[in-house]
Parts: sequence; structure tokens; C-alpha cells
Amino acid sequence: MSAALRWGLPVLVVAACVGYLIYSASGAAGEYYLTVSQLRAHGPAGDVRVAGVVQNDVEKSENGLHVTFTEKDGTASMPVEYTGTLPDIFQPGITVVAEGQLGGDGVFHARTLLAKCPSRFSTKPYTS
Amino acid sequence: MILGYLGAGALLAGLVMAGFSALLSFWAGWRETDVFIQVGRRAFYAAAAMTALAAVLLEVALLTHDFSLAYVAEHTDLSTPMPLVAAGFYGGQEGSLLYWTLILGVLGSASLVASARIGARVAAYAAGILAAILSFFLFVLAVVASPFDLLSITPPDGLGLNPVLRDGGMLIHPPVVLAGFASFAIPFAFACAALLAGRADAAWIRHTRRFALLAWSLQSAGLLLGMWWAYHVLGWGGYWSWDPVENVALMPWLATTAYLHSSQVQERRGRLRAWSFGLVILAFLLVVFGTFVVRSGVVPSVHTFAISDIGPWFFAFLFACIVFSGALLAFRAGNLGGRVDPAPAVSREGAFVLQNLLLIGVIAVVLWGTVLPLVSGMVGAERVVGGPYYERAAGPILVVILALMAVGPLLPWRHAGRPVVRALRLPAATTCVVLLGLLVAGVRAAPALLAFPLAAAAAATVVTEYGRAVFKNPRSILRRRRRYGAYLAHLGLLVAVAGIAASHFGQQEKDVTLRPGGQVTVAGYTLTYTGSDQRQLQDHTDFIAGMRFGDQTLEPSRATYAGLGGQALTHVAITTTPTADVYVVLAAANSDGSATFRVLVNPLVTWIWAGGFVLILGVALGNLGQREGAPELARRRVPVTLPV
Repeated sequence: MSAALRWGLPVLVVAACVGYLIYSASGAAGEYYLTVSQLRAHGPAGDVRVAGVVQNDVEKSENGLHVTFTEKDGTASMPVEYTGTLPDIFQPGITVVAEGQLGGDGVFHARTLLAKCPSRFSTKPYTS
Repeated sequence: MILGYLGAGALLAGLVMAGFSALLSFWAGWRETDVFIQVGRRAFYAAAAMTALAAVLLEVALLTHDFSLAYVAEHTDLSTPMPLVAAGFYGGQEGSLLYWTLILGVLGSASLVASARIGARVAAYAAGILAAILSFFLFVLAVVASPFDLLSITPPDGLGLNPVLRDGGMLIHPPVVLAGFASFAIPFAFACAALLAGRADAAWIRHTRRFALLAWSLQSAGLLLGMWWAYHVLGWGGYWSWDPVENVALMPWLATTAYLHSSQVQERRGRLRAWSFGLVILAFLLVVFGTFVVRSGVVPSVHTFAISDIGPWFFAFLFACIVFSGALLAFRAGNLGGRVDPAPAVSREGAFVLQNLLLIGVIAVVLWGTVLPLVSGMVGAERVVGGPYYERAAGPILVVILALMAVGPLLPWRHAGRPVVRALRLPAATTCVVLLGLLVAGVRAAPALLAFPLAAAAAATVVTEYGRAVFKNPRSILRRRRRYGAYLAHLGLLVAVAGIAASHFGQQEKDVTLRPGGQVTVAGYTLTYTGSDQRQLQDHTDFIAGMRFGDQTLEPSRATYAGLGGQALTHVAITTTPTADVYVVLAAANSDGSATFRVLVNPLVTWIWAGGFVLILGVALGNLGQREGAPELARRRVPVTLPV
């Protein structure tokens, strides 16, 4: 076997396997990342992640685990429903990323809720 | 106010010195003029000293609450405890860049002092490359994102550090991670200098390896501390979430792990020289790429720095680094000498090559997952991937790497013969026993059925090697401590892998609302809610719930920071039993006196911390005070070729 072949063959085999793994996994586990208006315009089937700002209508159940609120971006809004532990900084005005599905009832059923910190390392910038 | 002017001045002076050092070092190295090589190196030390001065000035400004500096006002306030005020130094974008530059200056100087003995020309090129990198950072600090910008009106109090960061972990994790990131520049500079000069003798390879080891150790500690912090402070029950910030810290670590293995072949067999240096270069490029991604906000992440102006500058820097090192590899790799014929497939060399390819495969998986939002956003709808993608794509590769860990160390250099088959009996038997045990215990998940037996087999291989040494020649363990240190590191990693697999496949959780006296049982562990208490502290109010567990009381709590718009912060309570962590989060305190909890049982999480510690310890013990002579092949000098 020539030298080039003996170097190239294992590289090619590993590269092909890794390529296949990446291709199949990103096809099966990839989700669309949308804003509220993009979801309203063309909602793909299946799980999506939707970013938007929490509005001033947060309602929590008595035990604090079930919550409903409206998520809004520049032009569109949608009601969101979520059960689980809320992120610490969750409050009206912050940006959240809800992961889940838009139900037939027009309500977005979130499986996970991520709070997007405006910045990890500062609270808010001074305007001087 | 005066501190602001002094600091900005120090940064500008440092920038001038670093730029001067870069130009002079390259020129002097090319002409081999010893005097100017010296001057160039000293200019680097001067630039590092200026950076240190700027760092001291910023720290003084923080500790004296000089709110005329925008950076001080935005990241600290009067109520923040003093150690955390000091930590504000690296708590924000500009300060953390200054900290990074400081580490680059200090480690760069140390590496240049040590390199002066090795070879004038290559050392001059290394100084030039380090100075060029330092110049870039000082330029960004002095011109684009200065920590010394002044406010027009000095506010009476600052905004304070984000509550999530008001934790003891803040004092350890960020400095280690940032130091790890900065330290990758050193092996990069030495590898590039060797390529540029077209020579890499044994001393030079060892020098590069030493600083790669330092970067690897810092990054390992940083990753481990980050996982520990996320687990103990953030309160979502896990330690790794495949967020871009974590991914970009993992990738250079993987590349350097690959290098530490291929450098064995580089030193002992004279093969894979250019390849090994390529891995060092890849690690640094991944660091720069990661810094660009994290600090510019180009991919969605739950924790990124504020969107800032430094993105385009880092992109330009990344581009320049790729072009420079890519051209070096393309035109110079052939000049490094050493053997380029393929290694025998079934041999120690072959195992190292395969391990390298697999680790690069993992890097490719992580890289693709990280940039997918960016790439897909350019061609259509933005797509993201989460944990399931990484598990499906990287999982199979990691399983093969585990298998390789069981087989590779038993293979001899050059050619494997019949005795290898006999040596493989113990790992093979271990695999079968553990697999049977799991099946009998009712485990049916295929990933768990692969991960545990293979990890056990790899551990059996380490035990075999140690056992053989103990029976034949116990003193060889000390004499060849690099080898046995590496086996100890393998063992540590395998313990951590068992912990990761157990907590990943065996986690159990329950959300529950309890009145005082109420009980909850998760995975056989019973907790009783005993009641709540409220405490007022310096900068926040704590609401504490008591949970009795056996004869101890866990106290999960929620802190409320009045000064920060009532932002809440959850404090997790964790207790460790021999087989699992019981992890209690106080989700809500209700008006009727009841409280809502999230209780998780995470098996073997402590194995991750213990294993990670042994991993770093093994590498440290194996390489500290190491004066091992290089084997015959590597000692042969490679002819010096003049750069064009």
C-alpha cells in the first residue's frame, strides 16, 4: 500500500463517520430558532425555540410552578404556558427563549424556559 | 479620575512597547543580530510590565470605589463585599480582557526567559509572535474597549455585580478559565516560531510541550471549576449544558489533549512533528474563535457578554491568525524533518494517530453545533441544536475513544505481536463481567451498556500496567513517572466518565409542594419540610427553608437583592451520600406557608470532581521536575534551513 493511501484511508474513514454522525444528529435534533413574528408568519411543525420579551401579564399558580404570560417582539405576540422551575431573573421586561411547540389553541406550550441575561457580567449600562 | 488617565497611559505605553518588540524581534531574528534580539525581548518585558501597572491601577480604582471610572461604576457598588469588589477586575468585558492580557504578558515573559537558552533565532521569532498577540490585545484595550473610560458625572454609588456572580466561586473559576485561555498563546508562539525558522530539535519540542501542558492544566481546572460552579450555584441540577460558552472552552482543551498524545510520538519516534504543531496552532485558533463568538454575541447563548464593538476586531484578528498559521503549515511543515512515512496500523503510534483523529472528530461535532445558528442563519431560517445533538453525534466517537483507552496503552511501539492478544485478556474479561452485571441489574439503555463496561476495561488496562510495574520493578514507576502519571490521569478521567454516565443516565427528579411536616421521597431518599425562616444580610434578604434528611437539615434558600430591582437568586442545598447527591432547590415560597421544591437525586456526581482532580494530578505528578532525556531518535538534530 502506498504511503499516501495508508495516511489517507484512516483519515477518510474517520471523516466520513464523523460527517455522517453530524449530519444525522443535526437533522434529527436541530430546532428552529425564531422570533415571535417569524413563528407567526411560518410556524414549522415540531419543536422550536422562540425568543421574545416577557410582557406585564405574568400569572403564576399558587405553588409557583405553573406560569402563563405573553411573549412579544417588535410586531407580534403570543401567549406562553410553562410548568417547571422558573429562572431566577424571570420577570416582565426580560428576554426569554421558550423551547416547545405552538399548540392548535394558539398557546405556545414551553418545555423549557431560558432567561437571556442582557449581559452576563453587568446589570445595565450607565447612560451618562 | 487620575487613575483613569494613568491607566489609559500605561496601556498606550504598553501598546507602543509591544509593537516595537514585535517588529524588532522579527527583524533581529531574521538577521540573527543578538543585540537586537535581546532588545526586542526586553521590550516585551516592558510591555508586560506596563500591562501589570494598568492592572494594579484598575484594582486600586475598584478597591477605593472610584466611581468616576465607568467600569468601576458598572460592576461594583458600596454594598458588595470587598473580595467580590476585587473580583470585579475580571467580572466585566474590559476588565477580563485586561486580565487576559496580563496573563499573556506574565506567562509570555516567563516562557521567553526560559527560551533564551534554547536557540537565538527561534526564540526571537517566538518573542515577535507573542509581542504581536500582546499588541493586538493592548490595542483593543487602549482604543476599543478601555476599562479606564471616565464618566462625565461621578455617580454616588455603582450598579453592583450581578447577584449570580456574588459567590465564592467567582473568586476562583473566572481567573483560572481566563488564564487557561490566555496561556494557549504561548505554545502557539513557540510552535509557529519553530515552523517559521524551519527547525524543531528535541529541546524545542520539549519547550513547546511544557507550556502546552501548563495551558492544558489550567484549562482542565477551569472547565472542572466551571462545571462545579454551575452545579452548586446555578441550581438547575446539572453541570454541563452545551452552551456556546462551554463549547468554546472545551474545544481548545480537546485539541491540546490530542497534542499531548501526539507529542509522545513526536518525541519518541520522530514522527508527526508538523501534525503536532498543527494541533497546538489549532488550539490557539479555537481560543481566538471562541473569544470572538462569546464576546461578540454572533450566536445565541444564555450567557454572553454585552454586545460590544470588539467583535469585528476579534474577527479580523482570527482571520489574520488563520492566514498566518495556515501559510506557515502549508509552506513550512515539510521542513521540520522527522519521519513522514505512515505509522504501522497496529502499534502504539497507530493508536495515537487514531485517537487524534477521533478527538478532532469530537471538535468538529462541537464546532458545528456551535456555529450552526450562524451558518443556517446565513442561508435560511436560523437553527439551533441542544444536548441531544451532542449526545447523538459525539457519543459514538467517545465510546470508540474509551475502547481505544483500553487497548492503546497495551500496544508496543512499532509493531504489535502475539503477546498483545494475551495482554488484552484482562480488559476483555472486565468488559464482559461489567456488561453481564449491568444486564442482570436491569440496565437496558445501549449507551450505558457501552460506556460503563468500556470505562471499566480501560481502568483494568491501567491496573494491569501498574501491576506489571509493581511486580517487576517498582522503582520504574518513579523513574518513568511521565508514563505512570499519564496512566493515573487516564484512571482519573475514567472515574469522571463513570460519574458523568451515572448522573446522566440515572438522574431522578420530582417537583413537590409541601406544608411544614410534609414528606417527599425520591429514589429512596426521604426529606421532611420543617418550616421556614427569614434573614437580613448586608446586600440581600434570605428566605430559608429547612429540609430534614436523616439527622441533618438541608437549607435551600432564595435570596432577594433589593438594590437590584428585587432580583432573586436561588441557593441550592446539596448533600452527598456514598452513591448519590441529594439536590434540593427552593422553587417558591407560597402565601399559605407551604413551599415548592424541586428535588433531584444525581448518582455519583462526586466521582466527576474526584476523577477530574486525579486527572490533573496525574499529569502534574508525571511532568513536574521532569528531566528525562529524549530518546535517541528525537535527539538527532534537524538541519537548519534559512527562512525565505
